[in-house]
Amino acid sequence: MRIGKEFTKGVIAENPLFVQVLGTCPALAVTTSVNNALGMGVAFTAVLVCSNLVISILRKAVPSDIRIPSYIVVIASFVTMIEMIMNAFSPALYSALGIFIPLIVVNCVILGRAEAFAGKNAALPSIADGLGMGLGYTLAIVAVSSIREILGAGTFLGYPILGSAYEPILIMILPAGAFITMGFLFAGMNIINRRQAAKKEVM
Amino acid sequence: MNQKVFKLTAFLLIVCGVSALLIAYINDITIDRIAAQNAQALQEGYTEVYPEASEYSETEYTGSDAAITDVVSAKKDGQEVGVIYTVAPGGYGGAVLTLVGFDIETQKITGIKVLKQSETPGLGGNCTQPWFAARFAGKSAAQPLKAVKTETSSDQEVQAITAATITSTAVVTGINAAQADFAANYANR
Amino acid sequence: MELFALIFGSIFISNIVLAQFLGICPFLGVSKDIKSAFGMGLSVMFVMILSSTICWLVYTFLLVRFDLEYLKTIAFILTIAALVQLLEMFLKKNVPALYKSMGVYLPLITTNCAILGIALLNIQENYNLIYTLANAFANSAGFTLALVLMAGIRERLDEADVPDAMKGLPIVFFVASSMGLAFVGFTGMI
Repeated sequence: MRIGKEFTKGVIAENPLFVQVLGTCPALAVTTSVNNALGMGVAFTAVLVCSNLVISILRKAVPSDIRIPSYIVVIASFVTMIEMIMNAFSPALYSALGIFIPLIVVNCVILGRAEAFAGKNAALPSIADGLGMGLGYTLAIVAVSSIREILGAGTFLGYPILGSAYEPILIMILPAGAFITMGFLFAGMNIINRRQAAKKEVM
Repeated sequence: MNQKVFKLTAFLLIVCGVSALLIAYINDITIDRIAAQNAQALQEGYTEVYPEASEYSETEYTGSDAAITDVVSAKKDGQEVGVIYTVAPGGYGGAVLTLVGFDIETQKITGIKVLKQSETPGLGGNCTQPWFAARFAGKSAAQPLKAVKTETSSDQEVQAITAATITSTAVVTGINAAQADFAANYANR
Repeated sequence: MELFALIFGSIFISNIVLAQFLGICPFLGVSKDIKSAFGMGLSVMFVMILSSTICWLVYTFLLVRFDLEYLKTIAFILTIAALVQLLEMFLKKNVPALYKSMGVYLPLITTNCAILGIALLNIQENYNLIYTLANAFANSAGFTLALVLMAGIRERLDEADVPDAMKGLPIVFFVASSMGLAFVGFTGMI
């Protein structure tokens, strides 16, 4: 029961991107196509689950003075491994994501989960937490990339869906489009939060 | 105090050591695959820019142009019929690794292919598209090319990708480096 | 000349924040007023130039020599973390004036992806030491520029009548997008 809760909280209530506003760099940079965002989401989730698992196992052995450097080493190791595996099995995706794969190391979400959850909890809940947060982050960047790819290129996952009469809005693929998309999505979050707060007040 | 520092350092070192060993292991099992994949991509690239050859062998590049990274001679029945250059000119977001093939008999570009780039997707990123490569095929190798923003009016001109002049110019610069070397060494005798 | 193009390009055309999307977290977080934006910018400049140089040296003289190139991510992040820690202790003890203006930002810098990103890009682009220095300088200057400009706009925004739903982060994203568009205009200059 509790494990189920650890899993679901990351998807909506504590969504890493939209609620905690962490990991914004890759969310802006690799969301030019849904394909890239999916790849990033999978790599991110894999690193998060692995590091959460190892850190929760080691949590009693790590001296608290050097826990941050130790966490960073663990995370960086998994990132390097994922990088190599991606390079070997999916070279196109590897070169599309480029520098943002090694930069998963400094993605605040992963270190944040290590510090706030995996360092204090047992292995099973930590895996659930990692999976939930990873799924939440993946869904968030896929949402951003869907908007950008559909409007900016008229395609979804590379398949044309808006027909040839549609003239793509090029700006959505450009860096400026990334900021605009995020702006609208966060404004949407604001409205939802406001409505919920108002509802609570009435009750 | 000292003992504590020692203990902490030792712990950190052990963590680093174990990580390094694990990474070395993964590196070991993936490195061959990565190399094979790169080699295959290169082979496919060669066939694409110079389809007529049956064998591709590396030759030594003796020139001094930093944009040229590799020269491969394309052979058919043991006879050298074409040359493929690997060039890496600087684009908008880093090097644009490009293959360009020349035919010795006709003195023309047979084809180009952008292997690796990190240009803006949707703009400069379109340099990998076949329609952009097609703009180069059949151009004469006697003179350098020039990227223009309008319709081409002469054989020397290549139409740039819309809104991606830097990328187009980069690709043309790289091809011109290869063209200069080709004109100097492989011109019809 | 080529060096100049690199520096100009990194500050204006492919600005580290607005075009390369590195260092977005501090860009959103520490851009509420010009003074702290400037402090953050200076700290990033200082750390980026130092860390890029040291990472380049570590890569060239240690990792390449022992065929350990694949350990670069882990080696760089440790170098940066250690450097920031040492810098904090050094400044606190020896240059208290500087520590006062930079101190609060230093701990945030370890997880600033701009620092690690530029260190990795220097290697990926095969830069020599001079280019590495120039690249680190130009990118951190671009970071400071974007951050200070944003802070200037946000100070004015406090007075503006922003629609309720756009208050806070959304409007910052819209401003960033207009800035990004404006910077695209510099492309014509090279």
